[in-house]
Amino acid sequence: MFASILASGLAVGAVYALIGITYNTMFATSRVMSFTAGQLGMLGGVFGSLFMLRWGMPLIVALPLVLIACAAVGVVTEFVAVRPVLKSLDQHLYVLSTLALALMIQQVAAIKWSTEPQPFPRLFGLGSGAFDEKFWLPVLALAVTVGGLEYLYRKTLVGHAFLAVAEDNFAARALGLPERGLRVASYALAGAIGGLAGFSGGELLLAFFANGALLNFYGFVPIALGGLGNNRGALIGGLALGLFQQAANFIVGGIFSSVAVFALFIIVLLAAPQGLFGHAGARRV
Amino acid sequence: MPTSVPEALLELRGIASGYGKIAVLHGVDLHIAAGEVVTLLGPNGAGKSTLLRAISGLLPLSAGTVRFNGRDLTGASPRQAVQAGLVHVIEGHRVFTQMSVEDNLQLAGYGLPRHERAQRIEEALTYFPEIAAKRHDRGGSLSGGQQQMLVVAQGLVQRPRLLMLDEPSAGLSPVLVDRVLGVVAKLKANGTAVLLVEQLIEKALAAADRVYALAQGRVVLEAQTSEANLPRRLEEAYFGHGAASALHA
Amino acid sequence: MRSETLPAQAGARATRGHASWHALLPFAVLLILSLLLPLTGNDYWALIATRAAIYWILVAGLNLIVGYAGQLAIGYVALLTLGAYTTAVLTGGKLMAPMPVWGALAAAGAVGALFGVIVGLPALRLRTFYFAMTTLGFATIVTQIALAWQSVTGGGVGLPGPDMPAPFNSAWGFYYLCLGFAVFCTLITANVARSRYGRALIALRDAEVAAEAVGISKPGLLVKVFMLAGTLAAIAGGLFASLQTYITPDAFTFDLSLLFFISILIGGRGSILGPLLGTILLTILPEIAAPLAAWATFLYAVLLLAIVLLMPGGIAALLDWRNRKPLESGRAITPRPAALAELYGQTLQARALKVQGAALAFGGLRALDGVDLEVAPGQVHGLIGPNGSGKTTMLNVISGYYQPQAGGVLLGDSPLPGNAPTKRALHGIARTFQTPRLVGEASVLQNVMMGGTVAGRASFIEAMFCLPRQLRDEREMAQRARVALRVVGLEELADVRADRLQHSELRFMEIARALMLKPCLLLLDEPAAGLSTEEILRLGALIKAVSAQGTGVLLVEHHADLIFDICDHVTVLNLGRVLAHGTPAEIRVHQEVVSAYLGA
Repeated sequence: MFASILASGLAVGAVYALIGITYNTMFATSRVMSFTAGQLGMLGGVFGSLFMLRWGMPLIVALPLVLIACAAVGVVTEFVAVRPVLKSLDQHLYVLSTLALALMIQQVAAIKWSTEPQPFPRLFGLGSGAFDEKFWLPVLALAVTVGGLEYLYRKTLVGHAFLAVAEDNFAARALGLPERGLRVASYALAGAIGGLAGFSGGELLLAFFANGALLNFYGFVPIALGGLGNNRGALIGGLALGLFQQAANFIVGGIFSSVAVFALFIIVLLAAPQGLFGHAGARRV
Repeated sequence: MPTSVPEALLELRGIASGYGKIAVLHGVDLHIAAGEVVTLLGPNGAGKSTLLRAISGLLPLSAGTVRFNGRDLTGASPRQAVQAGLVHVIEGHRVFTQMSVEDNLQLAGYGLPRHERAQRIEEALTYFPEIAAKRHDRGGSLSGGQQQMLVVAQGLVQRPRLLMLDEPSAGLSPVLVDRVLGVVAKLKANGTAVLLVEQLIEKALAAADRVYALAQGRVVLEAQTSEANLPRRLEEAYFGHGAASALHA
Repeated sequence: MRSETLPAQAGARATRGHASWHALLPFAVLLILSLLLPLTGNDYWALIATRAAIYWILVAGLNLIVGYAGQLAIGYVALLTLGAYTTAVLTGGKLMAPMPVWGALAAAGAVGALFGVIVGLPALRLRTFYFAMTTLGFATIVTQIALAWQSVTGGGVGLPGPDMPAPFNSAWGFYYLCLGFAVFCTLITANVARSRYGRALIALRDAEVAAEAVGISKPGLLVKVFMLAGTLAAIAGGLFASLQTYITPDAFTFDLSLLFFISILIGGRGSILGPLLGTILLTILPEIAAPLAAWATFLYAVLLLAIVLLMPGGIAALLDWRNRKPLESGRAITPRPAALAELYGQTLQARALKVQGAALAFGGLRALDGVDLEVAPGQVHGLIGPNGSGKTTMLNVISGYYQPQAGGVLLGDSPLPGNAPTKRALHGIARTFQTPRLVGEASVLQNVMMGGTVAGRASFIEAMFCLPRQLRDEREMAQRARVALRVVGLEELADVRADRLQHSELRFMEIARALMLKPCLLLLDEPAAGLSTEEILRLGALIKAVSAQGTGVLLVEHHADLIFDICDHVTVLNLGRVLAHGTPAEIRVHQEVVSAYLGA
């Protein structure tokens, strides 16, 4: 039992962490928390099932296509729901515009895809029991993503430009960095990460339109725990959440485990609104 | 002094700009010749930083035109301005704290080919040996003075035709101020024009060929720094005798 | 309607009557239509209309949270669910002896009030997106509990809803009950919205710092509103359960949350009529376009996006034709300081502000390094200095945003505690801001009335039911606000939306708002910035007149001519210390100051 809690906890935790990183990646260049983060995870599963099971594509073709499709959704988010409201002084407009877009994506998935969970293909057919691929694939995806992002942010000029825009947008613009282009790129990147989350967790979560809302919330909890914009915090927070949730699942039963997660979420938020690893807010006056 | 010179590098006509409803600049005319060092003075809130931002495209213009190096830069983005050779070093030594000095400079050369970028970074660092020695340190670990040198060096990476420096001396010790302003003289020798916004009037005047004073969003004075009764004229421009006597009337 | 020759009070009443007639007409039309609806004899319409009425009961309360306070409470279906199950369980008799339906509804209301506050509490600490997320999470949890707690809720099988006693057990009888309640909710929420509590809510939404400065305390106010909204939502839930006759968790989908939320946004923030129309529209829309029913959520989402991007003001802004009339251009602000006597009434209890040895460091930066400052009653005290000299920090210490690490602030003999900006208004300290902070969607008059918040006597309950004390409060406050507007020369613009004013007018409006307090200390943060020379002269005369009433004025300003002309005393800060103080004449020739001011 312990092994299965650990395996499933780490697996769903990895998916949550990836969605958390999706939030962070969008936030970094735009200061916007987008409700489409979880929907991208849902689309990763739906596109995967669509391309591989319905259209019979091999993995090697399907995976890149899923990532491209989700990156495109990320770019659409930037154009439709983020760019038009960035100029507004009203800071909360993005909450509404991204919520609207997220709902549109979800509803289209429900109607055009299915309102029932659909099977997701077995990708490699490796492992069994606690070492089944459905458990370690998300963890692998998380490791690859975090490693890739670390490389991007530490070693490449584009990565540095992302960090620069995130740290001080005004200074970055003054320096002549193509801030808008970087923002679009970060949304594409975020889209691909969200798609990878859903794809790698597809065998676990299936291709189900309602996963979007679920992932929105559970992917946000690691951010609340780890602090906004902090990918390492999201990684630790995500895995911890997954383990906590699965443990609660076994101990108090499925539905009350979400109550436990929600209670934890609220308590952490109220006790440490900046997250456990975050910084204090700015002056208002 | 003619208000417009045909060969001016930068030529502003009737610049108006501000923040939202708050109009800060009300029709500013200004010109800078190639290789000329010009100081922009004025009391707090006069609109000096706003003018620099309006020139570099960080703030949208509500009226007026910007011509630079024979091209129309009105409404250009900061990126286009930088590419045209008009570089704005903003106030407050805002380096990217999480990145190394070298990475900070790399960013300033974003868009340049790798080889050329490396070359220009070395060139910019020759002006500031003290930060060249710290090239692998994080930007956040530098002292305020070193951060100021770093942002000026960032500006130099683009080999600007005109460098606009916004209060480069703020918060610096006198030695460092001389150090930073000394670079202005070197730049001038290399043919780079400089537009300098400064609080330290005497030092700024010493570094400059010509001076503009701004008050309440308008140019209230334009003079050669060699002019004899400049301090008196400046004081008048600042404290606004005209307005004060109107108040008593 | 209004003319200058009318005494202010009569003018005020005339305008008010004019405005409220306009405002009430659509409500009256709606009420008559809904009263006549049974004439159709169509039970299907009874169902739809009852549903709309029930939704409105919830939305009316939620409107105060979303539309007025600007808190993005998205998952409000949770409270509907809670109310529905509470009522159904209590009347069903599964848990205890069956309760009469009225008792059960009241109990549901109490439960709703409690959970309204619990769901709302995070709003006091969290930013918009975080709060939206917590309400969403709460909605998910409530549905899951309804599913899981089978012994009480019947799980997925559900529960019968409460039966209504006669005469409310027929379709139209129940309709009239719900309609009556909806009308009641409209009245009380409209009363709250028009009271100082409603003004405080939108002030917290659009200008939180200004709200604090006039003495509005966010937690106390929001808790009251969350209780009210929770109560109404839960009662709506009870009625909803009865309408459904049988409830299962499936009945409470997220789509409903969305409907409530979007109704308000379509209607327009800060309006009662708009969200009411929005609710009716969104309830009917899927019914008249049956093929669209499956796409209802999509449609709502498109509407939401369209509103956010194209029509942020919603229906209310469309209906607000009075504010589309162009304003007269080339308006001049002509203050009438003579009216100050009327505003101040009997003489002010004058008290001096003393700042003694205030020191405050942020990290290694010494923003204030032992500053002394005294503003005597009836004097204009100038505070000048280069950027970063500590002027703003000083203002923030005096207005209670910071607690100095050493030294203190005294008003008269009483020390002023730090970290308590909302308490300053009670001490008679008023201020304006470097960038005007205002509620753009409210009228100029409403903005100014906000300044008198602490003078209000009526409680929230009195405001809800518009009791005599509330009426007196409003009348007095409106009258004083008109006088204050006359003082600063903006009385002609009293009924105009504040965001249509020019920048200079907003500066004078802020002064009017501050004067509502009859302040013994007035802090002016760069009031002349962005003003024309002519306006600065008038501003100077106005400030002098205010100080002549006994108010001490602390003026932070860059315009040297204004400082030197109107100040009785000037303090010059540099690098967090007092560089010099004295009369303007002394400062004017102080060599260090001249060079510091010019930048040294």
